[in-house]
Amino acid sequence: MNYRSFLKSEWLTLVRRKQDTINALLFFVMVILLFPLGVDPSKAFLEPASGGIVWCAVALSILMAVESMYKEDFNDGSLEQWLTSGLSLPYLVFLKVFVQWLVVIVPLLLVLPLLANMLFFPIEQLMVMISTLLLGTPALFFIGAIGSALTVSLRRGAVLMLLLILPLYIPVIIFATGAIRAAQSGMSYSGQLAILAAISLTALVLSPLMAALSIKASMN
Amino acid sequence: MSVNLQINNFWIERNERQLCRDLSFSVSDGELVRIAGDNGAGKSSLIKAILGWIPIEEGLIRLNGEDITHNRDLLLFDQIYLGHTPGIKSILSVNENLRMYCPNASEVALNEALQQVNLELFDDTPAAQLSAGQKRRVALARLWLTKKRIWFLDEPFTALDAHGVAALEAKIQSQLESGGAVVITTHQPLYHLSPKTVELTP
Amino acid sequence: MKWTWFHRLGSPKWFYQWAERWRGKCLGLGIVLLVLGFVWGLAFAPADYQQGNSFRIIYLHVPAAILAQSCYLGMGIAGFVALVWQMKLAPVFIKAVAPVGAAMALIALVSGAIWGKPTWGTWWVWDARLTSVLVLFLLYMGVIAIQNAIEDRVFADKAVAVVSLLGLINLPIIKYSVEWWNTLHQPATFKLTEKPAMPVEMWLPLLICALGSYLFVAGIAMWRMQTEVLNRERKSSWVKEKVVDYGI
Repeated sequence: MNYRSFLKSEWLTLVRRKQDTINALLFFVMVILLFPLGVDPSKAFLEPASGGIVWCAVALSILMAVESMYKEDFNDGSLEQWLTSGLSLPYLVFLKVFVQWLVVIVPLLLVLPLLANMLFFPIEQLMVMISTLLLGTPALFFIGAIGSALTVSLRRGAVLMLLLILPLYIPVIIFATGAIRAAQSGMSYSGQLAILAAISLTALVLSPLMAALSIKASMN
Repeated sequence: MSVNLQINNFWIERNERQLCRDLSFSVSDGELVRIAGDNGAGKSSLIKAILGWIPIEEGLIRLNGEDITHNRDLLLFDQIYLGHTPGIKSILSVNENLRMYCPNASEVALNEALQQVNLELFDDTPAAQLSAGQKRRVALARLWLTKKRIWFLDEPFTALDAHGVAALEAKIQSQLESGGAVVITTHQPLYHLSPKTVELTP
Repeated sequence: MKWTWFHRLGSPKWFYQWAERWRGKCLGLGIVLLVLGFVWGLAFAPADYQQGNSFRIIYLHVPAAILAQSCYLGMGIAGFVALVWQMKLAPVFIKAVAPVGAAMALIALVSGAIWGKPTWGTWWVWDARLTSVLVLFLLYMGVIAIQNAIEDRVFADKAVAVVSLLGLINLPIIKYSVEWWNTLHQPATFKLTEKPAMPVEMWLPLLICALGSYLFVAGIAMWRMQTEVLNRERKSSWVKEKVVDYGI
């Protein structure tokens, strides 16, 4: 096994299974649907809230996608092979998260214009929302990868993983929605985007190390 | 090709149970070592401890004289490990699975290996459609595709038919003859091989 | 048989005996200071010119909030130590302190809410400090939950270390983000703790209360760690001797 063949098989697996992509996408649409139905369908509520609604939905569907990211590898023995391959486990984790990010986020971004429009989100500011998603979601994936690694061997790991990871998502959600809100009221939002990028970069550096450590401990 | 793996004074503890106490043995080229013991005696754990993913309480491990207790990379690059679960992705085809593990193998070698494990007709079949024994044979095909000096085979005969057992025994024999070493755990009698036995006693 | 095997066990034993000496002193002095601080604060300190007597809950609220944060800081550092140096006592510390810290966070939350009622007219205000204590409480719950969910001890130790460290790295970011979010939402007119010029008679008992709770929590933590050490080392000879000494 080398990094290239690993990346290729991860890519093939995710693209062929499609399940992660479709589930995340459906979940995303459903959560967004809940807000007009459950709270208020008027433009007066939805327009200012749309950034927050989209981000909550994104965070939840990412949690869904990330939660079981190593489950199959754990069950079919692939994790054991990663550990004994002599390759760097953090780097393998990094590649896996990266592929996962691509197959989940790209479809979300594709349906985003439609959903944003349904939430009365001003179309001129769509690029801001897309920027927050591109800069912020890597952090959500990388942080989630740690929780998933910690709970992969546990029978009821899903709820536990939510409890562990969701509080850590708060800053990303705050800064992302802050940027969107600032843009909506015509203020500068580059600061928030910079913070999002910083959080994502930090997560990108630290998370593969901690996830690798957790996988190793899980395989005990 | 010569190899010498020394396990010195291993102490392994799992869930507050001592699996091995002050265990020492060595594996050299041309040697087959069989780890024996009852169910739950810690045979798999011993292999995992040698490979470095469960911690040892005490002990030293040397590869060709070099101390690798704290960094097993040297050993990992020079071995194949096959565990209880074969590490075969069910959504990928047999060919794709083997390509993932052995990216440098040629098409000819790949077909050759599949022939050896009696899977030549299945190369494009998704692994999901294979039986447990067939999946295991896919994993075993890796032994034909890469040259590694040490093999760690944890219960490799499970779910194999008579033909598979014979082929694997022959492959192990040829690995030993070409100067490799094999560490194996199995409950089945070995017909054509004469291993050195390391007994794990509770 | 090698002697290093015993040397490594030696450290928990040394801790046990050290804690045996200091535990009682910490607990005793802590309780004395707490009683002194509370009585002084509740009965003798002057009433606040704005909030009247209701401000006196500060003597419970502030020490609890400080302790909740300090405990998490300690846990995060212990998590780092556990992962990097694999010190045996570090996971014991996390396991012992997590419920204490969670209790402190809960006390801070509840007393904050009670204080909020007369001051702001509602039990809960999305105040930056209160909100970050709430998140802190959730982080504690995460550590405790994963500790309970994993049966294998080695794995559980690693997992709580990772989670504690992860929380520690995130805590400043969470705090900063919540404060930033709070100023965005509402001007920070209400601050629970920042009284510009607090007279000495007011803050001295507060200081005593805080010191007292540090000592008290330290004592409790030592006690809990001792219990855990005994449990973990139950197969070693010194624990067996100890148990025999007690005549069990």
